[in-house]
Amino acid sequence: MVSIASVQPNYFPPPDQCAGQPLIEMADIVKTFKNAAGEFSALKGISACFYPGEFVSVVGKSGSGKSTLANMITGIDHPTSGTVRIGDTYVHSLSENAMSVWRGVNLGIVFQFFQLMPTLTLLENVMLPMYLARQLTPAGREQRARQLLRTVGLGDLEDKLPAAVSGGQQQSAAIARALATDPPILIADEPTGNLDSRTADEVVDLFASLIDQGKSILMVTHDISLAARTTRTLLISDGELINPWVACALPDLDHSQMLWLTHHLQYRSSLAGEVLTYAMDGSEGLLLVTGGCLELRQPEGIQDRPPLARLGEGSWLLTSELRRYYPAGIELTAGQNTPLEFLLVEGAEFARWLGETPGVEAALRGRPLPWQSTEGNL
Amino acid sequence: MRRPRWQKVLADLRSNPTRSLLVVASIAVGLFALGVMATIYAVSMEDIQRGYALHNPANIAIQSTLISQGLVERLAEVDGVRQAEGARLFSTRVQANPGKWIAIDFQATNDSAEMQINRPTLLEGSWPPGDSEVVLDGYKLPNTNASLGDSITVELPSGMTRQLKLVGVVQDQTIGAFRGAGGYFNAPVQAFVNQHTLELLEQSLPKRFNLLFLTVEGDSANAAHLEEVSARVRDVLEKNDVQIFTSTLRSSTDHPNLYLARALLAVLVVIGLFVVFLSGILITNTLQALLNQQVQQIGILKSVGAQRRQIVGIYLMLNLLYGLIALVIALPLSFQVAFWIVDYLTVQMNTSFFGYRIIPAVILVEVAIAVLMPQLAALAPVLQGTRISVQEALSGIRQNHPPNQGWLDRRISQLRNFSLLLVISLRNTFRRKGRLALTVLTLTLGGAVFIATFNVRVSLVDYLDKIVQYFLADVNITLDRPYRKEEINSLILEVPGVKMVEGWAFARSELLLSDGSVGESVFLLAPPAESPLVKPIMLDGRWIRAGDQNAITLSELFRDRFPDLGIGDTIRLRVNGDETDWVVVGFYQLAGKVSGFAAYTSYEYLSELIHQTGRSVTYRVVSSQLGLSNTQQEALGRAIEAHLERSGISVVDVTTGENLSETTSDGFNVLTAFLLFLSLLTALVGSIGLTGTMSLNVMERTREVGVLRAIGASDRILMVTVLVEGAIIGSMSWLLASVAAFPISALISDAISQSLFGGPADFGYTPTGFIIWLVAVVILSVLASVMPARSATHLTIREVLAYE
Repeated sequence: MVSIASVQPNYFPPPDQCAGQPLIEMADIVKTFKNAAGEFSALKGISACFYPGEFVSVVGKSGSGKSTLANMITGIDHPTSGTVRIGDTYVHSLSENAMSVWRGVNLGIVFQFFQLMPTLTLLENVMLPMYLARQLTPAGREQRARQLLRTVGLGDLEDKLPAAVSGGQQQSAAIARALATDPPILIADEPTGNLDSRTADEVVDLFASLIDQGKSILMVTHDISLAARTTRTLLISDGELINPWVACALPDLDHSQMLWLTHHLQYRSSLAGEVLTYAMDGSEGLLLVTGGCLELRQPEGIQDRPPLARLGEGSWLLTSELRRYYPAGIELTAGQNTPLEFLLVEGAEFARWLGETPGVEAALRGRPLPWQSTEGNL
Repeated sequence: MRRPRWQKVLADLRSNPTRSLLVVASIAVGLFALGVMATIYAVSMEDIQRGYALHNPANIAIQSTLISQGLVERLAEVDGVRQAEGARLFSTRVQANPGKWIAIDFQATNDSAEMQINRPTLLEGSWPPGDSEVVLDGYKLPNTNASLGDSITVELPSGMTRQLKLVGVVQDQTIGAFRGAGGYFNAPVQAFVNQHTLELLEQSLPKRFNLLFLTVEGDSANAAHLEEVSARVRDVLEKNDVQIFTSTLRSSTDHPNLYLARALLAVLVVIGLFVVFLSGILITNTLQALLNQQVQQIGILKSVGAQRRQIVGIYLMLNLLYGLIALVIALPLSFQVAFWIVDYLTVQMNTSFFGYRIIPAVILVEVAIAVLMPQLAALAPVLQGTRISVQEALSGIRQNHPPNQGWLDRRISQLRNFSLLLVISLRNTFRRKGRLALTVLTLTLGGAVFIATFNVRVSLVDYLDKIVQYFLADVNITLDRPYRKEEINSLILEVPGVKMVEGWAFARSELLLSDGSVGESVFLLAPPAESPLVKPIMLDGRWIRAGDQNAITLSELFRDRFPDLGIGDTIRLRVNGDETDWVVVGFYQLAGKVSGFAAYTSYEYLSELIHQTGRSVTYRVVSSQLGLSNTQQEALGRAIEAHLERSGISVVDVTTGENLSETTSDGFNVLTAFLLFLSLLTALVGSIGLTGTMSLNVMERTREVGVLRAIGASDRILMVTVLVEGAIIGSMSWLLASVAAFPISALISDAISQSLFGGPADFGYTPTGFIIWLVAVVILSVLASVMPARSATHLTIREVLAYE
């Protein structure tokens, strides 16, 4: 059996999926809560797109804003500013009433605590959204509800009240309910949070099968191993999305460190063959390749000698490490054939952060240089 | 810095204003209802007696042949007599509208300015009346259509009329005091004139009196004492050849409408107890819900070391605060409303209202209930709530136990053939069975009392209908003197529309007790034998038959006063100065304590006894047309009067049967209006209870509301779900209230009947109360659910689901 934990989540949308129009588009979402203690920003200008057929996980620690983000999409909560578009509908332009009716048809929601109606049987719970949306005849609703319950493995429990079945079974029923009106999108907020790991796996299996049936799913979770089973993962920390390149390339950093880098990294680009001067003056810098390739060459043989190493997309280096390995000096150039795109952080602030933030230095310096590593990106 | 315990109490109070409002409202409504009732009780009883005493009412009233002022002054010297005053009383008619004459009683004392006994209170204008001036009592003043400064037209014995200027309006609380209770409502317009005006009104021998008022020294409430003094007075009168027609004894605090006030207060006590009970249920229900919402906090308190005793203390402190806030709201409000009602009753019952004031006893009761009742009501839920273990409280596992489905749950869960909406509402209704039971009980009792008031009213109306059976004529004609019956009968029968005429005999008599002393005055009525114009309600024995000689049937008051008196016994009456023995053949029911001492005998026997054989003063006329309205009866009366007058027969009074029933029912109308108010009050308690329950239900189900929102429920769906639940509760309570209304109707009817008539009631039932309550309870339930339903629709999902 393959250990899920050993699988790295994918932080980038598959190119074939993100080619078309996004199914969900969040633009500059800010959510600020006000209470007696003052203001607290749960989301700080998040923009993201989700594409048809995607199985996206939103991962973050407790309080990071991942549920708030899901609530912005479902319309359960309103953003302080920014817009959410789903299909052709700007969700937050609808009234509470209209939104509820719209949501009943367009979104299926799965909650951490299942939220089944306690007085209705599992069958009735699944029939309820169809009744509310006035879909099908009563007999048709019952037939579809039975079929959905069979799909989630609850065919023999349909007349039970929620309190009479296990948590996993309740969540399965909740998923069946979310599918009742056949919405194109499922939003699941910590759907496995109250389940044991085996049942959690089964729920994710169920989601995976729904993706195969053409649904789009956004799942909020704190479990990185479950996230690894989705087609894309968004990392969220302190109300902001972590740069997927950082998340992908520097998995040993914690989320707040990743976020610091997200804030401070700057996009740069160089023409093919251009010599880079960034952070080569003895100051500290981190360079992360996002496009093309970066070549390391000895200074005296720029054009005619082969580079010492090539760093591809997702590879990174600390400039101070170069000086340690190449005291005589080294030259960084963009690849000869393609322009180089990269993220860069440099300067005294970075050096101070590196020195003062516990664990960062070890995480960054302790690693072998990419081209020395067996898992290098050359 | 405040103690943490107090901080927790205050925080609980503030943290959920709606919940706090509900708890306070449920306590306040009970305190309010109780405050209103207790205040009415205390103020009415105090004011009615105090106000009556201020008139210096007569303790002994004697109607007799004319006596001089000198004799009156001698009576004042009789042992035990404090004051004596003579008055001249005569009855005639006053013109209310052109062609419409109504009865009026004139009273003239020796010197109105110095009037000592039965002194009326001036309401407006001036007192005493001067020459050609009249002062009227305010109660029947509207019937005359006269205003202060107007002239009223009075019919004189000669058939002429005279104008008197209305110079004052007074309140005379002694009206009815000497006509038997209930006389107030039947009394004609009361007028006061001076001795000179008396002459203008063709009353010969001014300064001579036919009515004697006396007050006694010592305890006027002591019947034996009054009887002793009365005997001495009568002795003096008889020695002076004065013939006594009636003598009545009354204490200085015994207002003539006190019987009615007592009936009202009897109802107040019964319903007041219900309301206290309902409030207790309401408070228990609300506090139970409050505790349910506090389970987690109880767990937290326990986890940081709080002992059960301390937690109980916190919640009892919180209850105390709720109670005190409710008291602050309810107390002034209940006083205000109670005083409004007392003011209304004062006008209706001719009593006094001595203004707004603090009633310490009521405040004391209210404070005691505000402090104790919430504690008692909450004790069980508090003890139960604080018994929960930390683990249970914090995990909420207790609430998530698989439901233990009973028979009812299984039946409800089998409901399939309804819309899901109805299924949700139905199952929600039965989720908290304890709360449901208490809510339904509150509404049931409120509804049962509401329905009962209609039934009680019907009982009273039924009773009135029975009383009317004693006065079945369409028109009652009183002539100036006895006329031969054949002559009058044939004259009246000449009037178109007259079907039948009966001449009745009447006489006033005095009961002679076994020890030889004179007892109460007894009014003798004597219809012709087998008269179809009386349909008596016999309590015992039989009615008068043709051929009866000295047979007599007595009103129920005799049985009350002389419990040993039975069928076949003999009583002695003094009629027209002659002492006669009568054999009791039956007891009939009229209006109990209201009707006074009255007796029926045969016309033939009585008319012979009073030397009026074949003659009558009073005639009862029946129309050939059934079911005449009052206006039609008045027209017939006018036609008869005109016909008789043309034949030289002087008519003193024309009263329609309808008018007689209406005036008799006036007192009952006050009672039924009061009953209606009380029923509305209980309905208010019930509906606030329902509002509370529905709000608590919605409050506890906010999460489910959020879920419904999340899966597509519109505002309409959410509203309907809550409203249907309210309507189900309302309908259930209606069914139960319909059953409970029967014993409660009987209880209230009996309470009233005992006060009014001194006996158990005949129960009457009407679908009206049931139907009105069905409509009302459904409307109330829906209204009571509107607020919670609206809050359900206003609940945004983020409040309930977003951040768990």
